[in-house]
Amino acid sequence: MKKNLLSFFLLFFCFSLAYGQSRAIKGKVTDQKDGSPLPGVTVTTKGAAPAGTQTDLNGLYSLTVPAGTKTLVFKYIGYKESDLPITGNTLDAQLETDPKQLTEVVVVGYGTQKRGSLTGSIASVSGKDVAETPVTTFEQALQGKAAGVNIQAQGGKLGQGITISIRGQSSISAGTQPLVVIDGIIVNQTDLSSNGATSNPLADINFNDIESYQILKDAAATAIYGARASNGVVLITTKKGKTGNAKINFNAQFGSSAPSRHRQFLNSDQWLKIEQRAVVGAATQDVLNGYFDTMADALAYENDDSYFTFLAAGNSKWNQTNTDWEKQAFQSAPQQQYDLNVSGGSDKTTYFIGMQALNQTGILKGNKFQRYSGRVNIDTKVFSNLDVGMNLNFTHSYNQRLSNDDQFSTPLQIVALSPITPVIDPRTGLISGTPPGDHDGSYPLYYNALINVKNAYYHTNVYRTLGNVFANWDIVKHLTFRSEFGIDQTNQNEDSYFNSLTAADTGTPNGFGENTNTSIVHYTVNNFITYKNIFSQDHSLDITGGTSYEYSNLLGNDVQGKQFPSDSYKKVASAALISGGSSTQSEYSFVSYFARANYAFKSKYLLSASVRDDASSRFGANNRYGVFPAASVGWMMSQESFLKNWQSLSELKLRASYGLTGNAEIGDYSSLGLFTSAGYNGLAGQRFTQLANPNLKWEKTAQLDLGVDFGFFNNRFSGTFDYYKKNTRDLLLNVNIPETMGIAFQTQNLGKLYNRGFELTLASDNFVGKFKWNTSFNVSYNLNKVTYTNGQIIDDGADLNRVIEGQEIGVFYGHEFAGADPKNGDALYYLNNIQADGTRNRATTNDPNKATEVPLGNPTPRYTGGITNTFNYMGFDLSFTFYGAFGNKIYNAAGQYMSSSASNGLDNQTLDQLNYWNKPGDITQVPEPRQFYANGTDPSSRYLSSGSYVRLKTVTLGYTFSPDLLKKVKIDKVRIFMNAYNLFLITKYKGWDPEVNADFQATNINLSNDFYSAPQPRTITFGLNVGL
Amino acid sequence: MKKFNNIYIGALGALLMFSACNKQLDLNPHQSIDQNKAILTAQDVQSTLVGAYNRMGLSDLYGGGVFVYPDLMATQTDVSFNGTFQGLTQMADQAILIDNTFVSGTWQDAYQVINQTNNVLANLSKVASGDKDRTEGEAKFLRGLVYFDLARLFGKDWNDGDPNTNPGVPIVLTPTVALGPDSYVARATVAATYAQAIADLTDAEAKMPETNSFYATKYSAAAILARLYLQQGNYAKAATEANTVIASGAFELNTNYAAEFPNPGGVNPVHIDNTPEDVFAIQVTSQQGTNSLNTYYASKTYAGRGDIHVNDNFTDIYGATDTRAALYQYDDPTDNTTTFRCRKFDNSIGNVHVIRLAELYLIRAESNFRNGSSIGATPLADVNTIRARAKATPLTAVNVDAPTQLADSKSILDERIRELAFEGGFFLHDGKRIQQSPIGAVPYNSNKLVFPIPKQDINANPKLKQNPGYGAE
Repeated sequence: MKKNLLSFFLLFFCFSLAYGQSRAIKGKVTDQKDGSPLPGVTVTTKGAAPAGTQTDLNGLYSLTVPAGTKTLVFKYIGYKESDLPITGNTLDAQLETDPKQLTEVVVVGYGTQKRGSLTGSIASVSGKDVAETPVTTFEQALQGKAAGVNIQAQGGKLGQGITISIRGQSSISAGTQPLVVIDGIIVNQTDLSSNGATSNPLADINFNDIESYQILKDAAATAIYGARASNGVVLITTKKGKTGNAKINFNAQFGSSAPSRHRQFLNSDQWLKIEQRAVVGAATQDVLNGYFDTMADALAYENDDSYFTFLAAGNSKWNQTNTDWEKQAFQSAPQQQYDLNVSGGSDKTTYFIGMQALNQTGILKGNKFQRYSGRVNIDTKVFSNLDVGMNLNFTHSYNQRLSNDDQFSTPLQIVALSPITPVIDPRTGLISGTPPGDHDGSYPLYYNALINVKNAYYHTNVYRTLGNVFANWDIVKHLTFRSEFGIDQTNQNEDSYFNSLTAADTGTPNGFGENTNTSIVHYTVNNFITYKNIFSQDHSLDITGGTSYEYSNLLGNDVQGKQFPSDSYKKVASAALISGGSSTQSEYSFVSYFARANYAFKSKYLLSASVRDDASSRFGANNRYGVFPAASVGWMMSQESFLKNWQSLSELKLRASYGLTGNAEIGDYSSLGLFTSAGYNGLAGQRFTQLANPNLKWEKTAQLDLGVDFGFFNNRFSGTFDYYKKNTRDLLLNVNIPETMGIAFQTQNLGKLYNRGFELTLASDNFVGKFKWNTSFNVSYNLNKVTYTNGQIIDDGADLNRVIEGQEIGVFYGHEFAGADPKNGDALYYLNNIQADGTRNRATTNDPNKATEVPLGNPTPRYTGGITNTFNYMGFDLSFTFYGAFGNKIYNAAGQYMSSSASNGLDNQTLDQLNYWNKPGDITQVPEPRQFYANGTDPSSRYLSSGSYVRLKTVTLGYTFSPDLLKKVKIDKVRIFMNAYNLFLITKYKGWDPEVNADFQATNINLSNDFYSAPQPRTITFGLNVGL
Repeated sequence: MKKFNNIYIGALGALLMFSACNKQLDLNPHQSIDQNKAILTAQDVQSTLVGAYNRMGLSDLYGGGVFVYPDLMATQTDVSFNGTFQGLTQMADQAILIDNTFVSGTWQDAYQVINQTNNVLANLSKVASGDKDRTEGEAKFLRGLVYFDLARLFGKDWNDGDPNTNPGVPIVLTPTVALGPDSYVARATVAATYAQAIADLTDAEAKMPETNSFYATKYSAAAILARLYLQQGNYAKAATEANTVIASGAFELNTNYAAEFPNPGGVNPVHIDNTPEDVFAIQVTSQQGTNSLNTYYASKTYAGRGDIHVNDNFTDIYGATDTRAALYQYDDPTDNTTTFRCRKFDNSIGNVHVIRLAELYLIRAESNFRNGSSIGATPLADVNTIRARAKATPLTAVNVDAPTQLADSKSILDERIRELAFEGGFFLHDGKRIQQSPIGAVPYNSNKLVFPIPKQDINANPKLKQNPGYGAE
């Protein structure tokens, strides 16, 4: 890992010195261990008027020193500081490595700390380790890299919402995403999508600009963010320039994606067989119900023959066509990406200027994502004790989005179409279902989403400016004042158009257009003072105090139009009928005061305390202010004399923290009683929409963390173990209230839950030297339990996900399916009522209303983990990361359509449905097919399956040309590489992909549902990296 | 390098640090207003009343759900439900689950209307005296209509057992201000629910004007009362109320039957105001409201889902000249392999006819027949008035026998099907009223023909008792 770190700095911060003067002290700085030159070492004079420089690529330096200077100080990250007396004109230094984790600077809330002095739980990921991953957003790239951080995509659509949960989910109705802070500024994470599925606001960020990610997990680390911290905090630091010659870095990669897995459906013969059996099944029921006296009459009534001909595009030889609709949903998906950046600086000014062009095609037909991003990070000294700077990022992202998973027009819903239906209707030569070949709108079975590919679009353009200006003022020695003013401005335009050929889907015959503009301006002002000092050698003190003000203003407008002159007209300006429009505004603010003190005695005994006082416009008038304190202690045992002699032990630290954080992520006006407009036939009206709760306040999470950090053999082998328990109370809960009040819920502070778990991270440099192999491994376990909801069972609209006391959030809860009745093929359910002896009644019923609902499984993995192995040899590098999630189930919400034993509609069925009950005595899990008789299609455990998986998430293979070779052509670095993403998957899950949560219904409660959701892409790219 | 060390800058920094203040925290909503500021003036009361109509028009309520759902529960041999909404399949299968979202939608929306009307009624003092009666009447009309339909859907039928002990629905007559012990209301009996509906509708009839644009009028209340009394078997009152509407001359039958279901725009729907025959209709426009009859009956060409297919022998009930049969057609009228549908609801922004004059003729006819009276006209004359408009051959006699669905049968119940099929949930409500057995696969008084109380509300309100047949065993 240390070598990794070294090469990391070599890559990004190499520079050569160009400011030498004629009378100078010269020298070479080398690694004490192997004598290799150390570039970038800071060399300063010790004295009143310090002069300084840094070593060049070959470890050489030259420095003019004022008269009377006796000592030079050599500082280099990862090495112990060295003070050497000046003895002549030459002074060489050999630096001794320092266990890296102790001196590495870690970004924390409103400041930095050395890792060795940390008492909180912070997972760090280097930007370099995830850069160039061929994905859209940094969250995807972080998967498997940090313990306790569970990152889950909703599916394989580009730029769509991603769920991150740090140490489990600590809220039921309020937000659960961590706070994201980029260069000190809180980032707006409001989802602005208006198509019923979330999009990811963080997709606007080019993650190749990112230097490091610090994931703050326990209260000691997060409580400085007070009411916004309960879900953890991700601190992102972007790349900065370093003094020295300009470095140019260019990176390009090309490749393509394909679906990582397919799902099998019936072919024409199989489908006809099960549908015809379903006709018989239905007719049998008709007779039993007394609708018909004879089976013959019932069969005549239920007969589908003419309908089959209809679905086969009029071909009476139904099985002549055999369409694999599933394959039709996908497309070949090329992608390319270019990054170019320049960085460097003088002794007064440093800069990093970067840009990116990214163009990804989605695996689903019609899906595309592009991002053009620029960054300027600049820092300049105005006075010797004042530096000002700016970090600015501007981005244009463009997403050709698809309908949400619940729409007939999303590509994967075409799997429901009959295999006997041809893709191209031979009668018209057009895609089946395209007018005029569809006189009544009912061919094919459902709207054919392929029509949308050429006849509809939904384009989202986001223009985002995220930046801050700051000033750092060293007021007096030890005392620094920092002021930051940041803006995160998002302007989003969604433009959609559905032409006349999509009428069967939109219900609008001559085109439908919609244009939605949303802008959010989010300001942050931070002002804080830091005092750092060391008293009498042994007492180090670090105090920070300040204020923060945050204000967000969302403005939106929308216009819709119908009746376009022809399909050539696509903007609402051309619509004869303006069918809808609106404008909206929503604001919130936070006013906060915070303070933190860190004290260390002999770097052995560490004490830290922080407090934040937050007030928010979102809370009720009676509860505006909340105080969030935290305290922590650390004991660097390895510094104790009784362990100092244990040579192989390089670090052993015990940590404990306890503190309070809050969650304020509810609607902007949740505490107020509200009336909203409700017009009728063009006349204005108003209606009651929200019940007031003036007592509404933040959720409180009290978190205990006990941790140990350890390192052996100069930290060649190191690790961290944490146990935590997060107790959340006063949950911001949408509490069901009697609907007879004319309203279904009120947001209240009611309920308790906890998350409890452990995290283990291990890192090992297995081989050092010419052949390098290092391994990093993390695993985490989290148990989530809702302990109190006042007995209420909360349902957020998904079939089985519920919140119930004693279970985890979103537990699958419902009827337990018992297979087909061997006697008659009825779907059976276990009664499961509790009997006199306390056991559950395992007798069965065919009436789901009679069965008792029971917990059926967890939607969230208990264990998640990742392992990354990196090998380096002779310029070759190979790295691969496995990611795994274990112990959850996934509910196929589309099972009632696609795995219904043809008992609900004529949707094509998954292959396993062929195993249906056919005759008395058959033992099977698939009930008798009975067309439209809903035999076993009600939500139940029938559609649950294991969601555990292990995935080869990323593989990178690269070759770096020898620097000696490149010197001749004056190039610093050339690396060629190949990236592979989602190369293979091991799972028992029956659907497309276990990384799933149907986008249209994903909420805190609705977890692990699959509903025609796209699989993850399998992406392979080839790239080139050149440094000048 | 110079040093930045100016005391004034220091002061500025300190100022910046502590400048954040409380007024930054008082942010008011923009597209909603605080409930305390919502109903202050007469205009606000009127807006709240309009809001009640808005809620009436929700898809699970008088946008059409309240009519589609009972029909689905009782038309197993007349239609097939080919949609994939499980909640509706459950209704067609007469196997409703307690978490049926369509059922809970109706329940929730109904109480939204009730709360809206309660807000209006609690603020009548703010209304100018000239508008007060109308405002009160309209609010009570909407509330009464909703209680009547809630009683029919969530309670046993009036003539099924004892309405004085059968549970109806909770009666709430005050607006929601805060959550308190009073918010948990138990179910009143079927009789008490009907009594509330009758009281509201009677008061509404007395207070509303004879004309009131497309809003409810005196006659809307009388018409719903006629329907209610018929359901109760109170034939004298049913005939009287029906006669009030017919005799008022405020409404007339459209000259042809199809004109009641206007769709002049074809696939490009246009909103049409009430027809002369509409006594009360919910207004649907491209901007507001949903016609869920269109959603389920109309083909995709006409912006529906086309889930409900009518059996093509359904039109056997019409005689050869009866123009009402033309409202049932194949998607492609020339191709009998295409889907056969009810075409009454092809206009996706067509109004939902809550009650129309033809029904009142039939109520008067049936009530007079059962009552042995001839208030307004003889039963035969009323039936033939309806038939004449439809160009059907006049009947020579009528009766109230169970419907046979045979062409030109003499039963007024059959005439109701010919005239009103799929418009008002009559397959279920009439089936229960005349104790038809079976309805679908179950007897008229089966628990399966009563909606369950939505599970979510059972959980939220411990005072609510579930209907029989819906509990776990």
